[in-house]
Amino acid sequence: MQERSEEEEMVTPGEILGKGTDLIPGKGAYLSRDNHNTVYASLTGRRSLIPPPPDSPDQRPIVEVIGHKAHGPVPEPGCVVIARVTKVMARMASADIMCVGSKSVREKFSGIIRQQDVRATEIDKVDMHTSFRPGDIVKASVISLGDARAYHLSTAQNELGVVSAESMAGGTMVPISWTEMQCPLTGQIEQRKVAKVGA
Amino acid sequence: MESKLPSSKFVDQLVVPGDVILDLSNLSTQTIKLGGGLRQDGDSISVMKAGKLRFTKPNKYWVETSQKRYVPSVGDNVLGVVMDTKPENFIVDIKGPALAFLPVLSFEGGTRRNIPKFEAGTLLYLRVVSANIGMNPELSCMDANGKAAEYGILKEGYMFESSTGLSRMLLSSPPHLVLEGLGKKLSFEIAVGINGRFWVNASQASTVILVGNAIQKSESLSLVQQKIYLEKVLKSIQ
Repeated sequence: MQERSEEEEMVTPGEILGKGTDLIPGKGAYLSRDNHNTVYASLTGRRSLIPPPPDSPDQRPIVEVIGHKAHGPVPEPGCVVIARVTKVMARMASADIMCVGSKSVREKFSGIIRQQDVRATEIDKVDMHTSFRPGDIVKASVISLGDARAYHLSTAQNELGVVSAESMAGGTMVPISWTEMQCPLTGQIEQRKVAKVGA
Repeated sequence: MESKLPSSKFVDQLVVPGDVILDLSNLSTQTIKLGGGLRQDGDSISVMKAGKLRFTKPNKYWVETSQKRYVPSVGDNVLGVVMDTKPENFIVDIKGPALAFLPVLSFEGGTRRNIPKFEAGTLLYLRVVSANIGMNPELSCMDANGKAAEYGILKEGYMFESSTGLSRMLLSSPPHLVLEGLGKKLSFEIAVGINGRFWVNASQASTVILVGNAIQKSESLSLVQQKIYLEKVLKSIQ
């Protein structure tokens, strides 16, 4: 484990942390390409230095700014999130992102699953109603940051899709295939894009 | 009770929510089809909506209800009022739980160049293409083959609100007594939407009012009362 040293003094965005020749900017810091080549802070917090690994060619320490407020996790492209479907429309479904990985988020993040991102095969024949219903819990991966309103999510893999859903009778359904789930109370089968859970 | 066919003693009678019409614990493996207004609660079939219980052979049960609210279902012909226009769809009110979408291209020979211009308040005769729970229903101005048929804008005339039961009575065969009787003596055109709306048009406004009111008043009358009412109405126009 690298020894990280954290200073007592707070730095604010715009404060100079050091020269670009001495330091590599990490989280919360950035390199400004003006003629002075300086590293500035971009967050408020404490300055922290991580010494470089001994075998790397670049022997500059990494400087980071540790925010004084701990923020909740934020979805990034490539990570797997758990979301609850809020609205299903003809060409897309909206979902509220609840967890990033295994941590729950602190703020509201919206996601959209478009018709072409529901599954990998026959994407133009996807019927959104037989894939998701409002209230379903889905496991999806973040494809991109999307637009100002919502992240773009995808369930186009075997282990992504509906993880938990309630039937119309109110019982928690049991998955029976990658397209069907069955209600334990009435025996009715409903169609969803089901996630493959387990080995 | 151990008959081959499941039969309920409530068939063709008025039932209210909570009535148990069939007990499944005595019957062996048979499939019973439940239509609207009925629900399976473990081993008993109970009623969800007030109305008349109906049964058709071999095993279909449903409750015939009449209400002002319409539940969209695929294939229905409805009367809708345009609320708003979006780039892809018209937003249409069909008296359902959610506003319906009418794609701007869902017209016979519809292309991006000849999109019809419907203002808010335009009355349209439409067909329900898709109606899933939780989603907005989708409509179309074409029949299943892509022809315009009778769908589209209804000009002039007046639209009356009714209940879904009255709409079904007006569309039934043999025809509704008052409607048929008025049709023999007066000249008017009528469009009935199964969503509890009907539209009447005639050359004179007085005819429109007469026909609309007569149909609305005849909803709760029995066949005999309808005959008497019809004679009274026809006498008043002479």
